Amino acid sequence: MNLRLALALAILGPVALAALLAPQIADLVGHDPAAVDLMQRYAPPSAAHPLGTDELGRDVLMRLVFGARVSLAVGLAAALAAAAIGTAIGLVSGYFGGRTDAVLMRVTDAVLSLPVLPVLIVLAAVDPAKLGLPAGDGGGLARIAAIVAAFGWPTVARLVRAATLALRARDFVRAAGALGAGPLRIMAVHILPNCTAPILVATALAVGGTILFESVLSFLGLGIQPPVPSWGNMLTGAQETIWQAPWLALWPGLAILATVASINLVADALQERADPRLTRR
Amino acid sequence: MIRYAGARAFQGLVVLLAASFAIYMLLGLMPGDPVDLMASGNPDITPDDVRRLRELHGLDRPLAARYADWLVALLQGDLGYSRIFNKPVLATVAPYLANTAALMLVAFALALAVGLPLGLAAASRRGGFLDGAINGFAFLSAATPTFWLALLLIVVFAVVLGWLPASALPPPGEDGLAARAAGLILPVATLATVSAGEYARHMRAAASEALAQDWVRTARAKGASEFRVLSGHVLRNALVPVATVAALGFGSLFSGALVTETVFAYPGMGKLIYDAIMGSDFNLALACLLAASTLVIVANFAADMVYAVLDPRIGFGGAR
Amino acid sequence: MRAFAALALLLGLMQAGPAATQARDTLTIGITQFPSTLHPMIDSMAAKSYVLHMARRPLTTWDKDWKLVCLMCVDLPTFENGGARRVTLPDGREGAEVTFRIHPDAKWGDGRPVTAADAILAWDVGRHPRSGVASGEAYRRILNVEARDAKTVVFTNERVTFSYNDFSQFEFLPDHVERARFEADPETYRRRTAFDTEPGNPALANGPYRVTQVQPGAAIVLEQNPHWHGAKPHFRRIVVRVIENTAALEANLLSGSIDYVAGELGFTLDQALALEKRQAARFDFVYVPSLLYEHIDLNLDLAALKDVRVRRALLHALDREALVRQLFEGKQPVARSFVNPRDASFSPDTPAYAFDLPRAQALLVEAGYDRVVDSVRQNAAGERLSFDFGTTAGNRIRETVQQVLQSQWRRAGIEARIRNEPARVFFGESLRQRRFQMAMYAWFSAPESVPRTTLHSESIPTEANGWAGQNQPGIRNADMDAAIDALERELDPGRRKAIWARVQRIYAEEAWVLPLYYRSDPFAIPKWLAGIEPTGHQYYSTLRVEHWRPR
Repeated sequence: MNLRLALALAILGPVALAALLAPQIADLVGHDPAAVDLMQRYAPPSAAHPLGTDELGRDVLMRLVFGARVSLAVGLAAALAAAAIGTAIGLVSGYFGGRTDAVLMRVTDAVLSLPVLPVLIVLAAVDPAKLGLPAGDGGGLARIAAIVAAFGWPTVARLVRAATLALRARDFVRAAGALGAGPLRIMAVHILPNCTAPILVATALAVGGTILFESVLSFLGLGIQPPVPSWGNMLTGAQETIWQAPWLALWPGLAILATVASINLVADALQERADPRLTRR
Repeated sequence: MIRYAGARAFQGLVVLLAASFAIYMLLGLMPGDPVDLMASGNPDITPDDVRRLRELHGLDRPLAARYADWLVALLQGDLGYSRIFNKPVLATVAPYLANTAALMLVAFALALAVGLPLGLAAASRRGGFLDGAINGFAFLSAATPTFWLALLLIVVFAVVLGWLPASALPPPGEDGLAARAAGLILPVATLATVSAGEYARHMRAAASEALAQDWVRTARAKGASEFRVLSGHVLRNALVPVATVAALGFGSLFSGALVTETVFAYPGMGKLIYDAIMGSDFNLALACLLAASTLVIVANFAADMVYAVLDPRIGFGGAR
Repeated sequence: MRAFAALALLLGLMQAGPAATQARDTLTIGITQFPSTLHPMIDSMAAKSYVLHMARRPLTTWDKDWKLVCLMCVDLPTFENGGARRVTLPDGREGAEVTFRIHPDAKWGDGRPVTAADAILAWDVGRHPRSGVASGEAYRRILNVEARDAKTVVFTNERVTFSYNDFSQFEFLPDHVERARFEADPETYRRRTAFDTEPGNPALANGPYRVTQVQPGAAIVLEQNPHWHGAKPHFRRIVVRVIENTAALEANLLSGSIDYVAGELGFTLDQALALEKRQAARFDFVYVPSLLYEHIDLNLDLAALKDVRVRRALLHALDREALVRQLFEGKQPVARSFVNPRDASFSPDTPAYAFDLPRAQALLVEAGYDRVVDSVRQNAAGERLSFDFGTTAGNRIRETVQQVLQSQWRRAGIEARIRNEPARVFFGESLRQRRFQMAMYAWFSAPESVPRTTLHSESIPTEANGWAGQNQPGIRNADMDAAIDALERELDPGRRKAIWARVQRIYAEEAWVLPLYYRSDPFAIPKWLAGIEPTGHQYYSTLRVEHWRPR
């Protein structure tokens, strides 16, 4: 295991752990991230508050930890959703070929050619009630994840389709077909398990991207709504008081940077393992 | 080749049509209409005013009918009027488009100019310190939130050091070429940093693959200098996947510019689209979104063309 | 590498450091919004008023002491001085005829005098149903405009109200430029108006400055208007730069590319308070309470909120003084009602709700919410005191306030679930269609503005009336209705004060709306700049821009 990967995991490990155990950590340290303490606004870093406090006197470190929970949850959920959709479409497209393939690939291209951020803004601003969907609760996490996933699936679809095309011609797949297995069975049992490598890589790459998108949306005020903390919306308010309390802007940004970079490193490592052509002999 | 281009153009048009319909409907699903926004800020507007304004702006007609009208007008070359600016859409968009184009082109050129050589250098010294450093930079820059970097740059270079202006567009009267260039430095740096890392990474991967080929070993054995090896066939082969990424990246620079433009107060397309969407200015929003989509489609097409030209093994129809 | 060398060369060529303000004949002002149209009557926008009032003056205005004064007229017509008189209209109603004499030296920027014809054009455009003017009703209430001579205008209002001579929203349109454009096709006039097609036309200005250049989305440049009839301004040139991101706005101010950030349209309060701690040597900080009344509407359709004891308990449970002190350093005064303390109609006897947690709890118990489950009060039927609490998303200060209020209410056993929405959803649907439970937002009202659309029972938005009206809580109170009707008709100042006092008392006692505070505009005025007089209402300080000068 090389240095880069080790470093990435060294960063991701604590972040993931923090995200999973956030409530327990809060109990342990004794700071409630939602506790408003107006006497302690914008306090600089101290023993009690290692990273200082924000505009409501809330402990920044605790909010970062809970923000990790939210940002990672949304990022993972969105990436998994994108992977699921993309895999399904890629499999169907690659396996059936012909008209189905052509139509699905055109749809994929169409989604890819939309300018991402503007359409994300429109989607985030749409009122779900008009579509008959329930309004968002608890900050709108599920909605944001769904919206971001809607842009992540084409890449996965393409990768899976390429893999499916290659596998379809292989003997064991043809044999299965000759033995009378239906398309669904072939796709699920024979092709899908052999696609795990590209799917995994694509998903890993997507997580980084979705975290960044969520942060931009939250920064614009269209993503996760306060008081639910996310790294993106912690940055929104920090802008205005950037000279009075610069650490408020520094830490969420660094958190995003470190986490996304680490995730991409891990994805890269996965890709190298899956595709050893690239490593020097 | 012509047939292929024709087929792609046709597909592109279909995509644009579908996108325009979807976006028009989505915009219509946004709650409240522009008249409500006007009324909420102005206590003097009476309910009668609201009714009258809504009818004047055609907001009381069904959405599908309004879309049909818009489409028909578009086919006749009329993009309509922007409700927010009370001007023809084209006249409204032109200066903003020019600003964004300037920003994007310079940022794109800079990102390529920095990213490609770095990627090559990293690939040729794989495993060494330089490689590690460049790789690290690439990962970090691709993971940086744009708006955060923009704020940091403003704080450091405009406020603390005072070297560069904090906003990108100098006011009229002081907008000589030097001032305009100075204003663009920080936003370009912001955009280019994030892209350069990505190009460097892809270049490094592609160049590594090319360098592992047999003929490179042969060329080296024959005594060719490292520079010749790199700049000759390696570059040509490595450019293929990089061209694809670059073309796709050009299209996405459009989106990335939105936040940068906001922070640097640069009146560009990103900001215009945001305002148009938030203000429910259908004509303006659709025109901008279609412009952006067209740009991306053209960029993809260009990427595929470059791909086919640089690598004659791949016929038209592309390897997807 | 070559790219870096080029960059270094460029940096070397530039002058380092912020632009030195030597001659100080140019003032650069920063604001946070770009006016999308420069026509004074189409679309109302704060940024537009701010900028245009340097170049154009309405007929009258309210000054910083909240008194009505003349701007383009010679003196204010009143019933007492004969400038206004009652007339009987053809249909038998009583109307008011108000005569204004336009200042004899008032001229447009091209030298042509401002005449009654310009007023008549404004009226024609304003009342035309398809001209696109936002507040057309106000123009339609004027039945007739007549030119007695070139400089005398006679308005006939359709009824006699106390605001008979308040023409602060009335702006002249240059007849010799715009009449032809309007008459060619009124319906598309707003697209052909010279204000947007030729913004630099000097004939469009009648104030101390005129617009010379517009950089779309970024800046507006104004220069002195030689034909201005009032005091000569000092600054030869004013550049208004638009930077919507307030952090970037501050950066521009600190780096010197902006001289002054408009108090009315600039920093947030938090930002100004933070800036004051660091830059008190460079700027004088003035915090002026404005007419923006931040409050919480309660939806009176909800069973729990129908009970006045619950509403009063909601108020008593809040420590608004502490909130204002700690969040705003006391710069945004706590409100008792929608009437601003500086307004002449303010009544100091209006009941105030002090922070009193025991009293709040007692009231809730009295209303039947006597059991506490999971720290939320319930009544015998198991109904929990739990409400959706919404405001506009993306507004830091509001979100902060929400969280403070939420935690204060929690102590009384009241649960407030924060549910924010983007402004367009909030105003466009939730508020308008009364789909809210508790909604926090602000109104902007003119001095002495009668609350018909907000408190009268006729003004409740319903599906039947197309969701018209702004009485979102759903207030139905006969006393209040009667008082509002009386207010519109009563002209005697003494009796008006009494009616206003009654209105405020009912408002406070019933607590249909929870008053929070009045928002303040922070003015960060550079120490070298004198003459800026914040007004605290929507007739901004730029109406006296000719008095701004270096010390």
